[in-house]
Amino acid sequence: MAKKQPVLAAAQTAYVPADADFVLKNVDGALMLDTNFASQSFWKDVLVRFFRKKSSVLGLALIIIITLMSIVGPGMNAYTYDGQQLTQKNLAPRVQGLENYGIFDGSETMHTTSGNKTVNNYVEKDLTDVYYWFGSDNFGRDIWTRTWSGARVSLIIAAAAALIDMVIGMSYGLISGYFGGRVDMVMQRFLEIMNGIPRLVIVTLLLLVLEPGMLTIIFALMLTEWVGMSRIARAEMLKLKEQEFVLASRTLGAGKFFIIFREVLPNIIGPIITQVMFSIPTAIFTEAFLSFVGLGIPVPRCSLGSLISEGFNAFTTHPYQIIPPVIAMALLMFSFNLVADGLREALDPKMKEM
Amino acid sequence: MKKYTLKRLFTSLFTLLAILLVLFILMQLMPGSPFNDEKLNDDQRAALYAKYGLDQPVLVQFFRYVGNMLRGDYGVSYNISKNTPISQLIQTRLPTSIYIGGAAVALGALMGLILGLIAALKHDTVWDTLATVISVIGVSVPSYVFALALSYALGFRLQWFPMLYNTQLATQSSVLPSIALSMFTMASIARFTRTEMLEVLDSDYMLLAESKGISGPALIFRHALRNALIPIITVLAPLIVDLMTGSLVVEKIFAIPGVGSLLVNAIQSNDYNVVISLSFIYSAMYIAIMLVVDILYGIIDPRIRLAKEGD
Repeated sequence: MAKKQPVLAAAQTAYVPADADFVLKNVDGALMLDTNFASQSFWKDVLVRFFRKKSSVLGLALIIIITLMSIVGPGMNAYTYDGQQLTQKNLAPRVQGLENYGIFDGSETMHTTSGNKTVNNYVEKDLTDVYYWFGSDNFGRDIWTRTWSGARVSLIIAAAAALIDMVIGMSYGLISGYFGGRVDMVMQRFLEIMNGIPRLVIVTLLLLVLEPGMLTIIFALMLTEWVGMSRIARAEMLKLKEQEFVLASRTLGAGKFFIIFREVLPNIIGPIITQVMFSIPTAIFTEAFLSFVGLGIPVPRCSLGSLISEGFNAFTTHPYQIIPPVIAMALLMFSFNLVADGLREALDPKMKEM
Repeated sequence: MKKYTLKRLFTSLFTLLAILLVLFILMQLMPGSPFNDEKLNDDQRAALYAKYGLDQPVLVQFFRYVGNMLRGDYGVSYNISKNTPISQLIQTRLPTSIYIGGAAVALGALMGLILGLIAALKHDTVWDTLATVISVIGVSVPSYVFALALSYALGFRLQWFPMLYNTQLATQSSVLPSIALSMFTMASIARFTRTEMLEVLDSDYMLLAESKGISGPALIFRHALRNALIPIITVLAPLIVDLMTGSLVVEKIFAIPGVGSLLVNAIQSNDYNVVISLSFIYSAMYIAIMLVVDILYGIIDPRIRLAKEGD
């Protein structure tokens, strides 16, 4: 201490700054540019990034519209999805108001080898007060009502499959990744075998043994869709399980399952949500495929797939019958893909886009 | 490499056995007995059971079943074409399916590569957006929707191609189904190519190659595309499998006499024997494709091989 005293004294005596040395710089203009950001939560950030992308907003809007229509659509006219009017079958689309403009007026053009012929069955059968917005099918059922109730079935199946798939696939992957060692070995070998069987074969065989119906389809999807999800969950778990917060939690006496589901899970929810969104179009497609093959929802109930399958039988003579379900399904899958893409970028902007 | 290949081979064989076990159990679960003629008395029935080996323990039956399946003896069809051996049915139909599927894979891979390359080289331009839009549509619209659209527009209205498959005009008849099937492959490959190319083009070795004076096609094809191709090969295997699923419906739409439409018909007419045999064939093909691609990938990219051996 005694030694340092003179040095300090020397430094102080060397130069004493005066007030005149300091002049306040006029920075009022510059200061205005300084903006304060409120601290933003992760999810708010994700939302901002998600809504900045036009395609994901479009996808979300389409999903909302189709979902709303599948709820209110079937009730918008007096027809029911299974009500048959055998005197009014194969009628072309006719909409009030639009019919005066030459479109949707109930006329259809038949293309035959001998030439084209335009007929209006509403006029010919004297059905002046009858309107089928999307036309009627081979049994005189309203295609508008059937399309939206079909979309409802497809959406329910997609949602259920995604949910169950998330629970099973995620738990499987997390447990396999966390425990590691022999547990992981056995679980991964089982997964490899499951992955080695084509999805198509599992679903087909299952539906041969069980009664076709919505529950069976969901069950079949559940059995086949979880593999991709479990891989992602396991990879994320392997990345996180050596980190300090897991060690801290373990040191505080947390149980294994508490760590897996309460500590690690919230940290990997991003990739999991993205994967779920990507599995929804697959589920919708698989259902449509099964219906087309004849293993879908039993009649008279309908899904988009079974409507396409029915429309296919008459699609050269009455193409309007197949167009609504095809467009509804293509839009549905398209918009889920857009939303999934947008979510992936919003949740993990650093991740390589695929 | 040898160890890795052997390990993969072992897993594949085990998977095949597991599938056979599942199929065997399903056969046992099917309702009814093969001999339900009421005129048969118990002795005759026992004799029939003995003749077909159905009186033996389940394990023996299982191994006999495995042997039959591996030798290609699938039994006979019950409903579709009565008493025809299934192996014969498959033999006549498989070449058509492979021909159309192969054409679809080749077309999809080529078009996807071109589309992806354009998108990556003209990054952030109208071309890029256009290629991205095409690939998103290709991924999200199921192949049979394309099949229906093509069949209606080019087959029915314009009559450029036969609407239904015609064995006399095999080449023309295969055009529409191949295009319909290739859309998904094309879109997926385009997306992957774009991503991989963007990453490769951004890398240091591309800068080095460019600064050494390499330019034009040599730079893009010899240096960039070759490196970008490696990950693309891995996605080709699942794509081929998706194509197999798609082929079922597309074959049905175009009335192609292939294995896909055979399976659909078998499902619709409850011909369990055919369904199970075709399930086995599909699984075997799937396993073989996965195995080949995995091993190929190990040969092409040494990093993968080493990482997997370290496991």
